This record gives sequence, structure tokens and C-alpha cells, in this order.
Amino acid sequence: MANNTTNQEKKLFDHEVVQEIEAQKKRWQENTLKGKDGEGQYYSDSGIPINLLYTPDDIKDVDYLKDIGFSGEAPYVRGVYPNMYRGRLFTVRQIAGFGTPEDTNERFKFLLKNGATGTSVVLDLPTIRGYDSDDPEAEGHVGAAGVAIDSIEDIEALYDGIPIEEVSSNIVTHLPSTTVVVMAMFAAHAEKKGIPLEKLSGTNQNDFLMETAIGSSLEVLPPKASFRLQCDAIEYASKNMPRWNPVSYNGYNLREAGTTAVQEVACAIANAIGTSEELIRRGNKIDDFAKRLSFFWNLFNDFFEEIAKCRASRLVWHEVMKDRFNAQHPKSHLMRFHVQTAGITLTKVEPLNNIARSAIQGLAAVLGGAQSLHVDSYDEAYSAPTEESALISIRTQQIIQAETNVVNTVDPLAGSYFVEKLTQDMAQRIRDYIAEIESKGGLVAAVESGWLHREISDFAYQMQKDIEDGKHKIVGLNYFPTEQSQTKVEVFRYPETAESRQKEKLEKLRKKRDKEKVERALAVLRQKCHEDVNLMPYIKEAVLEYATLGEIEEVFREEFGLWQFPLA
Amino acid sequence: MEDLIGSFEKKDNVSLGKMLKEVENQTPLSLEILKLSSFRKGKAHIIGVTGPPGSGKSTLVGKMCKKLATMDLRIGVVCVDPTSPFTKGALLGDRIRMQELAKLPNVFIKSLATRGNLGGLASSTADIVQVLDAYEMDVILIETVGVGQIEFDVLGVADTVLLVSVPGLGDTLQTLKAGIMEIADIYVINQADRPGADESVKDLNLMVKESGKREWSPPIHKTVATQDSGIDELIHDITAHKKYLERSGLWKEKRQTRNVTRLYSMIESLLAQRVEDHINREESLKAKVQDVMKGERDPYTTSHEIVDRLIAKHNSYQYGG
Amino acid sequence: MQIKVVMAKLGLDIHWRGALVVSRMLRDEGMEVVYLGNQFPEQIVDAAIQEGADVIGLSTLGGNHLTLGPKVVQIAKEKGVDALVIMGGVIPEDDIPLLKEAGISEVFGPETRIESIASFIRSEVNQSIA
Repeated sequence: MANNTTNQEKKLFDHEVVQEIEAQKKRWQENTLKGKDGEGQYYSDSGIPINLLYTPDDIKDVDYLKDIGFSGEAPYVRGVYPNMYRGRLFTVRQIAGFGTPEDTNERFKFLLKNGATGTSVVLDLPTIRGYDSDDPEAEGHVGAAGVAIDSIEDIEALYDGIPIEEVSSNIVTHLPSTTVVVMAMFAAHAEKKGIPLEKLSGTNQNDFLMETAIGSSLEVLPPKASFRLQCDAIEYASKNMPRWNPVSYNGYNLREAGTTAVQEVACAIANAIGTSEELIRRGNKIDDFAKRLSFFWNLFNDFFEEIAKCRASRLVWHEVMKDRFNAQHPKSHLMRFHVQTAGITLTKVEPLNNIARSAIQGLAAVLGGAQSLHVDSYDEAYSAPTEESALISIRTQQIIQAETNVVNTVDPLAGSYFVEKLTQDMAQRIRDYIAEIESKGGLVAAVESGWLHREISDFAYQMQKDIEDGKHKIVGLNYFPTEQSQTKVEVFRYPETAESRQKEKLEKLRKKRDKEKVERALAVLRQKCHEDVNLMPYIKEAVLEYATLGEIEEVFREEFGLWQFPLA
Repeated sequence: MEDLIGSFEKKDNVSLGKMLKEVENQTPLSLEILKLSSFRKGKAHIIGVTGPPGSGKSTLVGKMCKKLATMDLRIGVVCVDPTSPFTKGALLGDRIRMQELAKLPNVFIKSLATRGNLGGLASSTADIVQVLDAYEMDVILIETVGVGQIEFDVLGVADTVLLVSVPGLGDTLQTLKAGIMEIADIYVINQADRPGADESVKDLNLMVKESGKREWSPPIHKTVATQDSGIDELIHDITAHKKYLERSGLWKEKRQTRNVTRLYSMIESLLAQRVEDHINREESLKAKVQDVMKGERDPYTTSHEIVDRLIAKHNSYQYGG
Repeated sequence: MQIKVVMAKLGLDIHWRGALVVSRMLRDEGMEVVYLGNQFPEQIVDAAIQEGADVIGLSTLGGNHLTLGPKVVQIAKEKGVDALVIMGGVIPEDDIPLLKEAGISEVFGPETRIESIASFIRSEVNQSIA
């Protein structure tokens, strides 16, 4: 381990050398640079002041072995694996999900055939929100922005012919209430197929912020209840599904809703801290579950800041695990994350420019050491991606993998005075913001009080003003505004028949299942909601009796009550 | 107008909405409506809810409403939010905390912006309440702006006033203390699952006692509005307060006082308007105002001169024909 | 006259950023904006009735614009509400004529400047008063 060295700090540069550089820098500023340093201040997107030139004196306090180290070793700034992409390339993950499970299953097969190395599915809004396809509230949404899942039969159809014991399955469940049901269905389906749970690899999103702060909705569970379900899923997987990531702390959607890169990472880590405290309270040991916690970042266009964010987030996570939780297992200390490029940076004007934006963001993700990547498609400001645009996204990732050579060496930007300095600055701001959240009573309390919503809303409002004032530049929009009237973009059409097909299946299911058994399983679940126990086994029992997602979530709504979204 | 009143009397919500819109914008039509005798009922129980920002007033009002709705009552809700002094716009965000009321047919919510009024309500609030009362609402809940200071306007409109606070807002309570005893009939410590709730109750108890013995001793309630906890008890005391008002004769007295107060405030604003019009018409008076503006003449003498002049002129007009 | 806008997220759509930012910016443009959060057509129209709204603003990225958008217009008509109905969000170009045909007055994409929404509202509302 890197920290086996002596306690004495070993600075990156000799004190005298730094002094000489500082003196020379002063001279350079006064003689050479004089009057040519541009007007005004420059800042990164999250507000960190940016210098014109960085030199060793900017990182004079950095101790290489302690603060940067080697890949696969503490403090993991350089990456979580020693050989990084030489050992395993980042997973090419493209989200798919529309219509019925049968429709999405076809798209899965198309993507896998073209080189995707895992499946990634997004669910439709009724599923995410806990309503069955035949619920009146679901009208108009079934199979629209994702695939509809009502029962375990839908999971069976979704993964029909997909070797889930070999390719990993990412399921974008968003909310904990959705996660516990869909994860239970996935696990039960694997067991029915004879695949042991230990063999399943994949990720759920499972973030209570998604339910209570990031996404607005009617009929939201209170933050405490949502957080409890989040922890239930994590605890269950840590005990039964050792290769499964039961959570992907969702910095991504937080950032899309409106935060800086610093807030994005800090909130996600604060959530992981809260989870760890809760699971320890339940009698688990930190090393039992910490290695299964994973993260999800959003990379915008501020290239170096985003790379520094990736590096800094690994550093802060390592500190949290080591110093705060005294985790012993090396795997508990390493932060693994998935990256999706920033959907909100994509423009509707001149949509093909989005291919360039996404490629730059994707490259930053790889330079930041991401474990898996989704590159947004250029047409996302119009609709869900077409097959053609989804393919361009895959190709973009393959170009980074195979043509740029950036994957051949680990953390290639390390040692850049600027990148190292920015990494340190980001890390400090992340620590400070975590402290601010904790001063509000922790993340759950910060959500209950509406504090986090105000932070998000204020950021989004300010950003829009900056765009309209031209302070925040967007090519084609306020910087070299487009002269094209409209680009014709072929728009992906959701299968219109999905709703009726899904309803038909549900009707049949409701007729053929054993009603009494369903009701009994739901009654047990209802009772367990009020006990200090993990609900996963009881949910699994219910899905095996063909209880639907909507029925199970109705139990949650009735037992946990509803919460009013503190927005204004 | 006849059509509108006709459908209003048939309890058509669309016409109520249209009428309130007229009243909110103080249109000439709205004045005609408010003059009608059928618009002087005075039957509804008017409950004012006030308190500092972040105390969860809207959520509490929402939960009270939900409970009242199950008691087969017709409920009007008036929520007031501040108008931006710079842009004249307003973001009215109380309604989102009352989403679960959206499907209740016997609840009608009206959001108002203060439009420059400073006392915690919009200046049209009394008129809005009058229309809701004419629509035969059983209960009208008014939620004040809640920007920190005491909002006294609600005293002039409501029969029962609730002051909502939360644990940890002790300092706020202290600063409110000066006027707090006169304002509330019922105190609510909301978000009472937070630490410090019992201390807040104790502090309030002390303050209530210090204010001396009164016929109605304001009860203090702990609620957790987000979890529906304490709402039933609160409703119970609100009902008790109504009974007390009726028994003691205050119910009638408050209404009579309110009528006179409204009359006087209308006279005031009417007079102010007339005086201003008059000054603008009469050159010699205009010149005097100019002199005050420049600091060449003192406002004390001048104000007397102007008013005396107007009254004298008015008298000569009266007697001289 | 003060213009009153009722702003809602349509149905189950979860993205609140756009709707809230537009609400705050229309406030800056001098309008009174009642923010409803998520609601379904029936409840959106009820809120517009109660609030005396001049404008109903619908926001969606959820792909439900063609089903739920026209429904708002239809219910408003049935109940005799004459508010202007406008829509914003991620909406395919080809669907805009269909929405307009169904009575949605205007559809605003993700990159619309707030001024153009505000001036559209002002001119339409003033016209209907005159």
C-alpha cells in the first residue's frame, strides 16, 4: 500500500526549487506576460478560479505517494484498478427501453450484436412511478419513455435469450420503491431459470434523491421511507448477490436537474455515507457492503474540471471509507462509477453538433477512469434515440477505445500541474459541501426541509439566466447562433400499440394467478412495512405469486404515506 | 352579470372562479357583485393561519383541509404569496403542497399575490373571502404570506387565528413575542418530530401564562403535518374555538366590528383618492405641494391648509347649492 | 392587468427543472405564476378554474404530449374555461401541427428564450381581452 511510507511528508518538488519557480514566475508575470493576461476572471463551471498558467508551485504541497499514488492503490486518485483499461476496457453501455418488454428485448439483441457489452434498460414512467400499465394514471405513458414492467412475466420476456449470467444487466430503476420490486423480480426470475444469484452481475440505480428531490411527482413516499427501501435493496444484495451493484448513487440526474459538479459528487457521497451509517445500525459491517456501492456521474463540457472531478471523487470516497468508517477491505475504498454524457448540454439547434459534444464528454470520462460509459445520442433533444443514432453513440465509444490510444496508459493527465491542482480544489470543495449537508442534519433531513430543492432550483434558474444573457455560451444558440431554420431529424416513434398489448397481458395475468396467494403475500408485506426488517424477501415472495408492481407499490403508499414535494 | 350570478347560485365552480378573478383584479363588475345583499352572509368560519417561513403552513393547511373535507364541509382556501416589488410578478407555490386536495370536489383553492400590500395578505383578501362566504363555504382557511414579521392583517379578517412555528425557531418566537399574545387563538408547533419541540411548547406555555388570564386560553398543539399527526386534535380545538366565539357573543361582535372596520378603511382610501384628485385639479393647492416638495413649506401647516380648504369648499357647495 | 399563469408538469413526467425555471422567469416578466407540480388534465383544468388563470402552461419530456395535452384543451372547453393553453418540453417537430390542431396555442422547445414565451402570452392574452 502506498501509505506504508514513513509519516514524514514527501513533497513533489524540493522546497528550494519551488522558491526559485515562484520567483521566476513573478518575473515572468511582470516582464513577459505583462498586460497580456486577458481581462476579467476565469472560472470553471463550478466556480473554481482558473489561472492563466499553472506551474509546480501550484501543487507544492502535494505529496505524491500520499495524495496521488499508484493505480489500484490508495488513495485511488489514478484509478481503481492497477492496469485500468489494459485489464478491462470500460463497458459500452447503451440504454434501451421502449414499448413492451418484447420490443426492448429486440433492441437489446441488436445492441449486443453490434458490440455492446452489457444491457442497460430504462423503464417507462408508470413503472418508475409504481403504477401498472392498466392504471388510469398510466394513460399515455405506457412504453413511451422506457419499457413497461408490470410483473415477473415481463422481466422474463425482457431478458429472453439474453445470457444474464454472462453479460451484465443495468436496470435504471431510479427510485428505491421501483428498485426493490424490479430487483426482486429479476432475482426471482434468475432463480426460476436455475441461475444462482451469485452469478448475476449488474447495477440498479436505486437512489432516494431520485424519488424525493430530483424527479417531481404525485404520490411520493416520504424521504425516510424511500431511504429505507434504498438500504433494503443494498443490504439484500450484499448478502445474496455478491456481484450485483444494488445502488448507483445518482449524481447524474441531480446534475441534469441543476447542480454544479461539486454538488453532484458531494450529494452522492453524502447519500452513501447515510446508507453506510444505516446499514451499520442494522448490524452489518462496512466491509460487507461498501464494495458494492457504485456511483453515476454526469460529464459536462468543462473538460478538465470533469476529469478532475472523477479523480477527486475517488480521493474523497477513499478518505470517507478509511477515516470515517475504518473500512479494511481494499475494495471498500475504491469508487467505481458509470458515466453518462450530459443530456442537458445537447442542443436542438444543429443537432449533429451533439455528436462532437458527446465525444468530448465521453473522452473526459475515459481520461477520468470511468468503469462504464453511455454516450448520449445526438437526437436526444428531440426524442429517444433511433437505432441509427444509438449506433453512432456506440461507435463513438469504440473510436475512443480503439483509435485514440488513450486507453493504453493509466490516468494520462496525472502530473499536469493544472489537473493536479484542480483535483485538489475539487476534492476540498466536495468535502466542504458534504460538511454543509451534514450541518443540515444529513442528506435525508436536507431533503425533508426542502433545502436541496432550493439549491437545485436556484442553480437551474441562474443557469437559464446566464444562457439568456450570453454569459454561458452554447454554440449554435447564443454563440454563433444558427442560421439554419430546422434540421430535419428522423424521430424515433414509440410503438403505439404498447399500451394495449401490455394491458392485454395484464388482464390475462390477473385472471390466471392464484388471487388468494397474491393477497396473502401482500398482507405479509404490509405488516412487515412497520417492522425493522428488510422487505426484500417479502417482496420477492409477492412477485413469485405474480403480484404486480403497482399492487406492491400501493402497499408502500398506503403504509408509508405520501409526502408533499417541498418545491418553490 | 345576471348569468354569472345565476350559475354562481347554482354552485357552479366555474362561475365562482370567474367571479373571484373579477374581485382579485378589482374590476367595476366585482364592485357591483360585492354590493349585492346575497353577498353579505357572514356564515363561514374564517380561519387564519400565520407563521414564519419554513414552518410548514401550507402543508398544515393542506392536511387540515383534507380532514375537514371528510367531515362533509365545503372549504375555501386562500393562500397568499409575496409580489416581487421589482417585477410585480409572483410565484405562487402553496398549491403544490396541497396536491392531495386536487381531487376533492368540496375544496376550492385560490392563490393570491400581495400586489404591494404589506400586512401579510393581498388587499383583495377580504373581498375574496366575502365571495367564498357568499358561495356558502362552511370553512375558509387563509394562509398568510409568512415572511417573518407578524402579519396583523389576518386579525381583521379571521375568526380564529393559528400561529404556526417549528422547533428551533425559538429566536423567531422571541422576536415575535411583542405582538404574539394578541395575535393567536391557537398555537401550533409543527414538525414536532424535530428535536426541541417540547422546549418550544414549554416556552409558549410560559408566554401564554405571562399574558394574563383570559376567557379563552390559547391551546398549544404539536403537529407533524407531513405525517398527518396531531391534525385531529387541532381540528377539535378549532371547532371548540368556534363554539366559544358563538357562546360568548364574540362571533357576532367580530363580524360587526369587521363590517365597521371595512367601512372606515374604504372611507379612508376613498377620501385619499378624492383629496388627491382635488389637489391635481386646483392649481393653488398643487403649488403648495410643490413647495413642500422643495422643502420651502412645512407639511404640518400645509396639510391643515389643504384639508381645511377642501372642507370649506365642500360646505359652501352644500349650503350655497 | 396582471396575467395569471397556471403551470403544471403533465401527468407522470418527472423532470421539474424546465417547468420551475420557466415559472420563476415568467414571474420575473411580471406575471403571477401558480406552480402546480405534477397533475393530470382534469386537475389542471380545475386549478385553472379556481385560480382564474389566463394561461395554462404544460411541461413534458415524458412523451405524453399527444395524449394528455389535447385532453387538457378538451376538458377546458367542456367546462367553459377560455384560458390559453401552451406547452413546452421535448416534443418532436412533427407533432407540433397535431398539437396546434388540437387547440394548443403554441409549443416551445428546450432552447426558447423566456422573452418570446412572455411576449407570446402577453399578445394573446391582451388580444382576448380586447
